[in-house]
Amino acid sequence: MTIHASYGEAFERFAAALPATERAARAAAFDTFAQRGLPDDGIERWHYTNLQPFAAQPVHLALATAAPDLSAWRLDGCDEHVWINGRALNDAAAPAPLPSLDAHAGLAGLHRAFATPGLQLTVPRDVRLDRPLHVLSVSDAREAGEMFHLAHRIRLERGAQALLIVQNIGLPGATRFSTQSLSIELAEGAQLTLVRVQDEARGTTHWLQTAADVGRDARLDVVNVDLPCETADPIPGEAAAAKASGTLIRSDWRVKLAAPGAHAELSGLFGADGRVHLDNQYEIDHAAPHGTSRQWFRGLGFGPSQAILNGRVVVQRGAQKTDSEQRIANLMLAKGAEIDAKPELEIYADDVKCAHGASCGQLDDAAVFYLRARGVPEAQARALLIYSFINDVLARVPHVALRLRLARRITARLGAGLDLSEATLSGAAA
Amino acid sequence: MSQLLQIENLHAEVAGKEILKGLDLAVNAGEVHAIMGPNGAGKSTLSKVLAGAEDYVVTAGTIRYQGRDLAALSAEQRAAHGIFMGFQYPVEIPGVSNMMFLKAALNAQRKERGEPELDAGDFLAWVRHRVKQMKMDPAMLSRGVNQGFSGGEKKRNEILQMLVLEPRLMVLDETDSGLDIDALKIVADGINAMRSPERATILVTHYQRLLDHVQPDVVHVLAAGRIVKSGGPELARELEEKGYGWLQQAA
Ligand SMILES: Nc1ncnc2c1ncn2[C@@H]1O[C@H](COP(=O)(O)OP(=O)(O)OP(=O)(O)O)[C@@H](O)[C@H]1O
Ligand SMILES: [Mg+2]
Repeated sequence: MTIHASYGEAFERFAAALPATERAARAAAFDTFAQRGLPDDGIERWHYTNLQPFAAQPVHLALATAAPDLSAWRLDGCDEHVWINGRALNDAAAPAPLPSLDAHAGLAGLHRAFATPGLQLTVPRDVRLDRPLHVLSVSDAREAGEMFHLAHRIRLERGAQALLIVQNIGLPGATRFSTQSLSIELAEGAQLTLVRVQDEARGTTHWLQTAADVGRDARLDVVNVDLPCETADPIPGEAAAAKASGTLIRSDWRVKLAAPGAHAELSGLFGADGRVHLDNQYEIDHAAPHGTSRQWFRGLGFGPSQAILNGRVVVQRGAQKTDSEQRIANLMLAKGAEIDAKPELEIYADDVKCAHGASCGQLDDAAVFYLRARGVPEAQARALLIYSFINDVLARVPHVALRLRLARRITARLGAGLDLSEATLSGAAA
Repeated sequence: MSQLLQIENLHAEVAGKEILKGLDLAVNAGEVHAIMGPNGAGKSTLSKVLAGAEDYVVTAGTIRYQGRDLAALSAEQRAAHGIFMGFQYPVEIPGVSNMMFLKAALNAQRKERGEPELDAGDFLAWVRHRVKQMKMDPAMLSRGVNQGFSGGEKKRNEILQMLVLEPRLMVLDETDSGLDIDALKIVADGINAMRSPERATILVTHYQRLLDHVQPDVVHVLAAGRIVKSGGPELARELEEKGYGWLQQAA
């Protein structure tokens, strides 16, 4: 296990600034990282994604930078919480408990050793937040190898409700390495909708782990938009190294239906192009009876690249009357695109309903012709049909302005200007 | 009367199989032609060839529209030049609202013709007026294209699109199939509203009942890839009585 000396140096600097009470736990976490290193592709769950090379590269703690202009990302009507390079812009940086993560011990150790507090949210009993929370985690790397690690913690007490939008924004610049955790706890009857928008810059290596515990009759809705939408043109201010190196985004989602009647609905849009490697690992753990889970994933193969989706459903012994469904559909849009989408079922109970299916296809020629026969040029016809394909998932984004922005961004990525406005969105009032 | 469409000795194949085998047809501006014929005769094939479907390959013959060779035009260009095909089986496009679809279609056509795009307000008024004309619920505009529509609703939606796009040559492939009596009347009214001295309509149909509402000038029988008989409106009634057997023997 080679770990570059700069990790240790960075940790010493980081630990020196911590309150004495925190140091022991952090040092233990760092030791785990030092012993276990980063995951390599010899591990089953990391078969497609090897982080080991990053352990051998020099890193340093991301520098503090001034707040950038965020107007392009701002969403009306939301409570905004901003982190820049892992530092809170407007939230109190109160010490927070370290997250417990299980995707990989060494990686979790690294995250725990360096984690800075992200959103620390508790919604009290029966309170419904009437404004969505918009978390913007901005990465602004000026020098190669900058890293930061951010830990969010969300707890909804009994009957509480909230909508949370977590957006990761990478400003163009140097190569970087960041990790992020979302620890979620939903008490009885609580309801959380989480929208995650991955908008990282080129040259980024990013790991996200979400760990959610869903309580009795509680409900978690996740919409994960994990698509490269950058243009192929060089971005001003982008360093040559970042331009040349790829982007690697790995996300682990663990949802535990911990008590009877818990419900989780995960949906995701994912797709990679030549510069981006995406890996999403979902696991829903039915640990109690009468749990229901739904998963809807849509993959887009933009270009020669690889995107991975693993959707695992575990039904524990005793989790009777579990009702779970998972649908994966992939659309291949270019030669050389590769999507590895795999459903995985592990069932230890006998009275359950588990359905799953995966399909992979191309745009329907009859539909392309239908549009063209009405005068829509071919490129635009294709864009409309791709929009149709992703809309199932997009329509689950409850914030209309965000949905519209995502739709515009994705269709712009397809290179055919579609006239999208609120009035033309399906389901909007005409 | 000027000739709008002139088809000579048309041969066309799909999936390597010849379907149209020397078809001739001439349609003047201002006319309504009905094309009838047995299942599998090639009526939809003719419609799709006219609309420019690429999997239908013309192997011989010519199609002239407004005096120009159609072969040079893509499907979307044909649409912009006024050819409209009503699909026998309209396609569902979930998530793309009818509004988004109509706007994309109309503005693309206008752009191709060098006309300015309609602004949002004018467009909305344009469409809503026609939705009313078709006695459809305006809420349909925000629903996905044909998404969950019944067979009859889909056909009505085809006519709505026709009214919105105001084509010059309308080829309606069994737009009357699957309609109840009221819907048939509304669809027929829509077709009649588009009748004008500059326009022409080709109605592909199996039934006299549409022709009771939309009087054709000429009725043709298409069998085994060719027009085997043409006549006046009375031919349709004769076909309804006698079927196609007597003609196929003659052909
Ligand atoms: N895409 C295709 N691939 C293979 N064969 C086709 C295709 N499209 C049409 N055909 C065949 O061509 C022949 C003519 O079909 P077409 O749909 O034109 O008939 P039609 O006259 O419209 O019949 P109907 O009255 O049933 O609508 C049929 O034998 C049909 O099976
Ligand atoms: Mg037909």
